[in-house]
Amino acid sequence: MSEDKNNFSVTIRVWRQNSPEDEGRMVAYKVEDVSPDMSFLEMLDVLNENLIKKGETPITVESDCREGICGCCGLVVNGDVHGPDKHSTVCQLHMRRFKDGDVITVEPWRVGSFPVIRDLAVNRTALDRIIQAGGYISARTGSSPDANITLVKQNDAEEAMDSAACIGCGACVAACPNGAAMLFVGAKISHMALLPQGKTERMERALNMIEAMDKEGFGNCSNEYECEAVCPKEIKVSNIARMNREFLLANFFSKEGK
Amino acid sequence: MNLDFLTRLYATSIGRKLVMSVTGLFLSAFIMFHLSANLLLLKGAKIFNGFVGIMEKNPALPLLETGLFLIFILHILMGAWVRWEDWKNRPHGYERRKWQGGRTVGSATMLYTAPIILLFLLYHLFTFRFVDHSMGYYEMAVSAFRSQTYVIIYIAGFAALLLHLSHGVQSAFQTLGINHPKYTPWIKIAGWFFAIISVTGFTVIPLYFFFGIDAKTSHFIIEIMH
Repeated sequence: MSEDKNNFSVTIRVWRQNSPEDEGRMVAYKVEDVSPDMSFLEMLDVLNENLIKKGETPITVESDCREGICGCCGLVVNGDVHGPDKHSTVCQLHMRRFKDGDVITVEPWRVGSFPVIRDLAVNRTALDRIIQAGGYISARTGSSPDANITLVKQNDAEEAMDSAACIGCGACVAACPNGAAMLFVGAKISHMALLPQGKTERMERALNMIEAMDKEGFGNCSNEYECEAVCPKEIKVSNIARMNREFLLANFFSKEGK
Repeated sequence: MNLDFLTRLYATSIGRKLVMSVTGLFLSAFIMFHLSANLLLLKGAKIFNGFVGIMEKNPALPLLETGLFLIFILHILMGAWVRWEDWKNRPHGYERRKWQGGRTVGSATMLYTAPIILLFLLYHLFTFRFVDHSMGYYEMAVSAFRSQTYVIIYIAGFAALLLHLSHGVQSAFQTLGINHPKYTPWIKIAGWFFAIISVTGFTVIPLYFFFGIDAKTSHFIIEIMH
């Protein structure tokens, strides 16, 4: 281990829970010789190596790409969803945001629909089941069409891309005072409702995905906009308004069975 | 006959929210109507009692009152229902939690301002609506507004309403899907404006009588108003 004069030590208060059935508790660990260049997850890696050396069970924490695009990681750090930096995932948080002697509280997403698997890892398959209920285009759209055969307005394309940027990390649900998943579902309904290929099934899609969302036990949006404030991909609450419009349209104007 | 479009209004999360927003907007309109009636108190006993007398003779009154009652009940029931579901989905709270930048004092206190408004409403109904009116409506209102206890309760109730409306009005538009970069900032301002105007109007009237401004300067004010 390098002995850099910039290195410092912090205390991590972290949620430990052995299984979904276990009650769970906060446990404090001291982490020495933390480099300000480390990412937050690397600091947890160092802590885990030390725990393994001491014969203790390492902390389970989920991560994959560590470059802010996959949506795997997600922690509440000192009460901030995805850490104190706005519009970034927790893997993009670096230890230079902390100072020597800091006590850092680390918690998993606290959502009934996301049960804790172990420690900081939660089960987010509820979001997958919402996608399975209609977050796709069922008709074969064929191979790449000739350019300009299906015209899409530039604004619609941009808005659809903005909505499609959602990585499904679940931060919106974690931050929502109501545990609602409406920013996620709104983004998924929006990015297809805006494009011609998605418009054919928009009515069934909206009703099916909203039904699936309710079935998973997610809460109800009360327009507090905490989701928008923490979203690493800057998904806007206008997506929730669009979902509400899609619901109104489907509920009152659909001529199909639903 | 397919009635899914109606059952979905209570059987789905967004349906329940829609009912809350539409009933909320109806109640906001009622607040404006009530305020404009109350302002007649400033014009003296004859005009106010005359207006109430006309209202009482309206054959549609029982129907309107029942409708208003049902709207209140729907708003309260849907609110309680969605909160119950929210509560179920957070079985374990956060040890440490910070506001992330979206919440406002109004939005974060909806759960607390709602029962305060309900308690005030019940108090108001049992001191004004379900009582003997033989002394005259104007006289009842003025004697209540001269009581310190009543004025304090009244202002506390309207302080809660101010917070409730500051979030509720603009929130109702978002729930109805009305969100646009051009209009949303104005809707938010208009929501606050509505809240401030209505609550100021309601609280100025009891203060006017409590501090005896009516006796001291009513002639002067009435002259200006003319």
